[in-house]
Amino acid sequence: MTKNFLNVSHAMLRLSDIRKTYQLGPVEIEVLKGVNLTVEPGEMISVVGTSGCGKSTLMNIMGFLDTPSSGYLYFEDKDTSHLTDRQLSCIRNQKIGFVFQQFNLLSQLTALENVCLPLLYRGVNEQQRIRIARDMLARVDMSDLINHKPTELSGGQQQRVAIARALSGSPSLILADEPTGALDTKVGQDIMNLFLDLNRNRGNTIIVITHDPNIARQCNRAVRMRDGMLYEN
Amino acid sequence: MKLKAIFIEALRSLWCSKQRTLLALVGIIIGIGSVITIVSVGTIVQEEVLKQYKEMGTDILTFTGRGPKIGLRLADSLSLPGHCPDVKTTAPYISQHGTLKFQGKRMEIPALGITESFKDINKLTLTAGRFISDFDVFMYYCVIGEEVRRKLQKLGVTDFVGAKVVYKDRIFTIVGGVADVSENKMRPGEINRGILIPVTTAMRISNTHEIEKVIAKLTPGGDEQAAISQINLYYKTVAKDLAVQVQTAKELIQQMQKQMRMFTLLLGVIGSISLIVGGVGVMNVMLVSVSERKKEIGIRRALGAQQRDIQGQFLAESVILCFAGGIIGVMIGLGASYIVARFSHWGFLVSNLAVLLGVTVSFIAGVFFGYYPARQAARLNPIEALRAE
Repeated sequence: MTKNFLNVSHAMLRLSDIRKTYQLGPVEIEVLKGVNLTVEPGEMISVVGTSGCGKSTLMNIMGFLDTPSSGYLYFEDKDTSHLTDRQLSCIRNQKIGFVFQQFNLLSQLTALENVCLPLLYRGVNEQQRIRIARDMLARVDMSDLINHKPTELSGGQQQRVAIARALSGSPSLILADEPTGALDTKVGQDIMNLFLDLNRNRGNTIIVITHDPNIARQCNRAVRMRDGMLYEN
Repeated sequence: MKLKAIFIEALRSLWCSKQRTLLALVGIIIGIGSVITIVSVGTIVQEEVLKQYKEMGTDILTFTGRGPKIGLRLADSLSLPGHCPDVKTTAPYISQHGTLKFQGKRMEIPALGITESFKDINKLTLTAGRFISDFDVFMYYCVIGEEVRRKLQKLGVTDFVGAKVVYKDRIFTIVGGVADVSENKMRPGEINRGILIPVTTAMRISNTHEIEKVIAKLTPGGDEQAAISQINLYYKTVAKDLAVQVQTAKELIQQMQKQMRMFTLLLGVIGSISLIVGGVGVMNVMLVSVSERKKEIGIRRALGAQQRDIQGQFLAESVILCFAGGIIGVMIGLGASYIVARFSHWGFLVSNLAVLLGVTVSFIAGVFFGYYPARQAARLNPIEALRAE
């Protein structure tokens, strides 16, 4: 809290009264009912909630994949409500790293090529892409398997590649949507340890969305989502 | 750099779905292949026809009488070169039809009454014996064409020079044979199908004093238009009220070229229909590809791909597909036209126009038929795309 007080204008991400409604035929469904959240650099936050409470919608909005129906979203103190699709793509590419429950690696590409992708869209040249991707794969202990296709890797290994991919663009914020959801407890904990290491030793800001209280407990801040509202735990 | 990466990505994704790629390729190959075959064969035929016309030379013209008195007199036609400085030689002729009898067999064939000059003007070559000479006045000598020679051969006559045949109830002695020549509008077709006899003999048989048509050859460097007016003037002086109608080889060739161009264009349009069908096939394959790869599009968008990156990737795929299909189609088209030319004994030639057309059209088809699917892909909502399975 002290940090927050000293650096009021340096929040990484600030959500102010974010609402999201969906039109489902004649019925209007309000998924987010005024969410407020401030994410400071270096934080590791867990968002917990039951399924269908709006966690994923919140993650999509924080990841600039979706836009709120109303409210303000500030990224590095800049209002993002009037950004074009192209500008949003740039933010996703340069500032956000996604880690999904189902890994979402491209099956036709090798681990190395998957990790190269965000850099490709940034226009980094091939030599540099490969160098960075190798570094990132080394950081997640996947140096030996860089030329393997996702189908040749275990779930835990795939998630490591996905994390390397999220890291390759050196994003300000890593958004992880149920990163351990598809893994067994032990492997899930390995992945969680990797996140903890990245947060503590490398200073990465991480938001983990989970329904697992055990995962949530390991983060230094936990928020709970219920009925489209966010509560500090 | 980004372009190269997009190109490689496109190649890779085409390679990953080989069956789909192959099917789309077949469509475009058939499309481009048929256009190229048609245009190429069209060009070959055009060249072939022109070659037949040009073989006789472009310094040739023919004329017939026109007006109330249409007959041309033989003597006038023969002395014409002496009065027209731009005309080197003339070959007047008349044609008739009759029954040729040989060893009890009868055949209906044409006969041409000709002069000695007929041989050089029509570029005839002898297969045996000699040609009709200007000394054969009123003689019953004949030179036979290839078709008659073949018929005689079937009857067991191989050494036909000196043989006697009956034509229109007169006994003719065969003095020689001429090889086949290509037919065109300047050269009478009777050469191959019938017999050649002295023009004087022909006039006596058919009891006429007039000749039908005159083929004239210009002097080297002679002017065509000058020759035409000289001929007209000449006939006005020698025969009152007689006008002539002149047709030149150049005119004919130009007409021919114009017709051929129209024909090739028409065929090209017909061929384009199959190209459109192929193109729609590519579009269909690309649309299927987009809907099958929604998830991939969603992932790429989440990783920061802009709409134009996605659009570029799919457009690249369709352009690569069409371009590759186009190149294979051009090769197949040229191969097919080579086979056609080979079997028709025409000279094969690679039409640069056809190759350029094929390559350009396939590229344009790739952009045209790929644009809509690529646009669809680029416009996908990233979240919906990510949710797709």
